Amino acid sequence: MIKLTGIAKSFGKNEVLKGIDLTVEKGEVVAILGPSGSGKTTLLRCINYLERPSDGEISIGDSSVQCRKPAKKDIQALRRKTAMVFQQYNLFRHKTALENVMEGLVVVRKVPKEEARKRSIELLEKVGLADKLDAYPSRLSGGQQQRVGIARALALNPEVILFDEPTSALDPELVGEVLAVIRKIAKEGITMIIVTHEMGFAQEVANHVVFMEGGAVVEEGPPKAIFQSPKEERTRQFLARFTSESAYSI
Amino acid sequence: MKLDFSFIWKAFLELLPAVPTTIQITVVSVLCGFAIGTAIALCRMYRVPVLHRIAAAYVTVIRGTPMLTHLLLIYVGVPLLVDGLSGRYGWSFRSGDIPMIGFAYLSFSITAGAYFSEVVRSGLLAVSKGQLEAAYSVGMTTTQALRRIVFPQAFAAALPNLSNNVIGMLHGSTLAFTVSVVDINARAEIVATTNWKFFEAYLAAALLFWGLTILIERLSALLERRVTRYNRGGVA
Repeated sequence: MIKLTGIAKSFGKNEVLKGIDLTVEKGEVVAILGPSGSGKTTLLRCINYLERPSDGEISIGDSSVQCRKPAKKDIQALRRKTAMVFQQYNLFRHKTALENVMEGLVVVRKVPKEEARKRSIELLEKVGLADKLDAYPSRLSGGQQQRVGIARALALNPEVILFDEPTSALDPELVGEVLAVIRKIAKEGITMIIVTHEMGFAQEVANHVVFMEGGAVVEEGPPKAIFQSPKEERTRQFLARFTSESAYSI
Repeated sequence: MKLDFSFIWKAFLELLPAVPTTIQITVVSVLCGFAIGTAIALCRMYRVPVLHRIAAAYVTVIRGTPMLTHLLLIYVGVPLLVDGLSGRYGWSFRSGDIPMIGFAYLSFSITAGAYFSEVVRSGLLAVSKGQLEAAYSVGMTTTQALRRIVFPQAFAAALPNLSNNVIGMLHGSTLAFTVSVVDINARAEIVATTNWKFFEAYLAAALLFWGLTILIERLSALLERRVTRYNRGGVA
């Protein structure tokens, strides 16, 4: 279980997160929605401490970090319980697809090379890249790179995978293949937190939706409630464009 | 003026025994300079308290003064220091025991450290922040992330500049003649004055340096092709 309590973050005088509380149960898929600048990516990056919150508490499973005075050891423990899929993929550029997936297992988890190799190949097969094991990221399309990114995250068998707008940098044709992979692993009961602008996808995959604006949670609940009968005016406004759009496409 | 071609060849052969000295000075100063430069670049980039100020001062002072001045200051200053300390603590070690080439090693390493720190820094800056974040996201410590992810890529990015600076140190090593180290340049001087054929002797030295430079260029091109294989997709 993941529990965020009173997470606050400021960049200088700009208050980006105003004390966010969020609980994510094991096996839950949480989608965080909201307009640009609402703080959703910052919140996600706070969970594995790529961004340092100025206040609050993060706890995942049995480890927790007090953001007022974080201990290096606790941050390390937090990072080992999470994995992240980045908007810009951020694959290790000097390593092949296979080496990218193996790296964390071998260096951080100290898994013997042969075993790590076997597990990594299985994962790359799972994301449909069995034929690209020895390809460097510069030789892969955006969609393929992102799928390697997902395999790299899965390899660590983390308690939660954080997705930071995983399809925003992809051209429309490649979005589908990445979403298909995420959909597949969502069904396996892996806990995930996804920041996304793909409303249809969020509605389909998530079992909990959080709508954020101005550094605060405006509304949260099951996707059906949020998408079909939002309580807050602001949520309705934000989703109106999406729902009317899909009405046209019918 | 008539050029004595056969003497150029003769001088060339006489210069060969000095090549190892030149190479030694270059290799030692480049290796030490690279180590010092990396430490300085890291101190400055990570703003290590106190140290980053010292590092910044070191770079401006050393880059702001000529290499020859460093050598002369070391040559005069180190014996004063060594003999002063020996006198006070009753050591038997005297400055006269320091081999001349030692002054060249020390001074050129200090010079190279300042220049290499900027090369290393530009290499580190060429690695995107996302690479470090990805390393953290899989649970690496800062040391692991630097060693496994950042340094290999920074090295590849810095290679062209690095080879440039190695060539600079090779040519700079000629200054060692001022402290009576007999490198290629000093040897040419000796050959020239004993035979009264200056132009030919210097020409032979130039040819030797040119050859060594081409060697460095080739080696660095080879290395570059190897370490940047990933940029072109390589074995894929």
